[in-house]
Amino acid sequence: MSLRVQAEKDLAHILENPKHFGWPLSVTDPDGNTNSDVIYGSSGDIGQVIDPDLGVAVAGRKAYVSIRISTLQDQGLCIPVAVPEKSKKPWRIGISDVNGNSYCFYVIDSMPDRTIGMVTCEIGLYE
Amino acid sequence: MISDLINKQDSFEVVRDKIALILATESESQQSLAVAAGEDPAQWKLRVFTERSQPWNDWYVSGAPTDRAPIINVWYENGSFDSSSGDVIKTQLHRAIFNVDCIGLGVAKNTDAGHDSADELAAKEAQRAAKLVRNILMSGVYTRLDLTGTVFRRWVNSISLFQPNLSENSAFNALGARISLAVDFNETSPQVSGQPLELISIDITRSEDGQILAETDFIHTGAP
Repeated sequence: MSLRVQAEKDLAHILENPKHFGWPLSVTDPDGNTNSDVIYGSSGDIGQVIDPDLGVAVAGRKAYVSIRISTLQDQGLCIPVAVPEKSKKPWRIGISDVNGNSYCFYVIDSMPDRTIGMVTCEIGLYE
Repeated sequence: MISDLINKQDSFEVVRDKIALILATESESQQSLAVAAGEDPAQWKLRVFTERSQPWNDWYVSGAPTDRAPIINVWYENGSFDSSSGDVIKTQLHRAIFNVDCIGLGVAKNTDAGHDSADELAAKEAQRAAKLVRNILMSGVYTRLDLTGTVFRRWVNSISLFQPNLSENSAFNALGARISLAVDFNETSPQVSGQPLELISIDITRSEDGQILAETDFIHTGAP
């Protein structure tokens, strides 16, 4: 078996094992299609140091999810991307933090890694 | 030696605090006017601070920001003293630059048509706050910043907005609009305390024959 194929299969343990860092989440595309089965992925939501000089960004909270692409495809979904058009709904990610608080995020940026079949999305709060 | 304790505020401190007070007071007043006009007063709410480096930290600590009113931070950046305006003893003209940073928060939201993204909302919120601040500070009501006799001139030099770094996608966006406000005013400094003098009064009169007559009246406390 190719090492790339093996690496892709390893994502089931690295990203999707709920006994490790696998975390349940929902994915909804701009047309409203969502996963019918629970999807597990890796996610994070952390604060950042803020640069007090306004010459650079003053935003200071970073959230992301990493999802196995084959799992998205199994659910009839494609790779989430940022949607710049205001006339469309964005890709939305539903997720809870470790304390049980639920949040809805939208995809700001998408970085697919087709070498091993994983996509990492930077996400923002969505109301 | 300077005989008195220097415990006064310099004019630049007074002016900085006055700018913040004007903005906070006018924000309250505008909210009242908005209520009377049937508008949402939240659109006129400003959270005003002075000399802060990170007054927006609470936005990032809570799961979802609660108080989302624009943050205004007034701080003294620099001052210059024109040697041709003033004197070497007491009063000098201080040309100061105060930065009024207007920080807007953007959280993406669902709309009937689609969605509004956080970066766009943050930029428009910062610009909206800057608009309010500029209108307040350049209002004819505050030509002298309510410090007539001290402040001679106030002027918005520039408004600068900063786009967030594209590599710094965040869970939500905050953006700053910096208003550079030039203010001219006088600064004073401690003066020499005079020594008490012995009082001497002299009455000088001219007599009919032209003679000058001088009459003095004093208490002599010195050495004989």
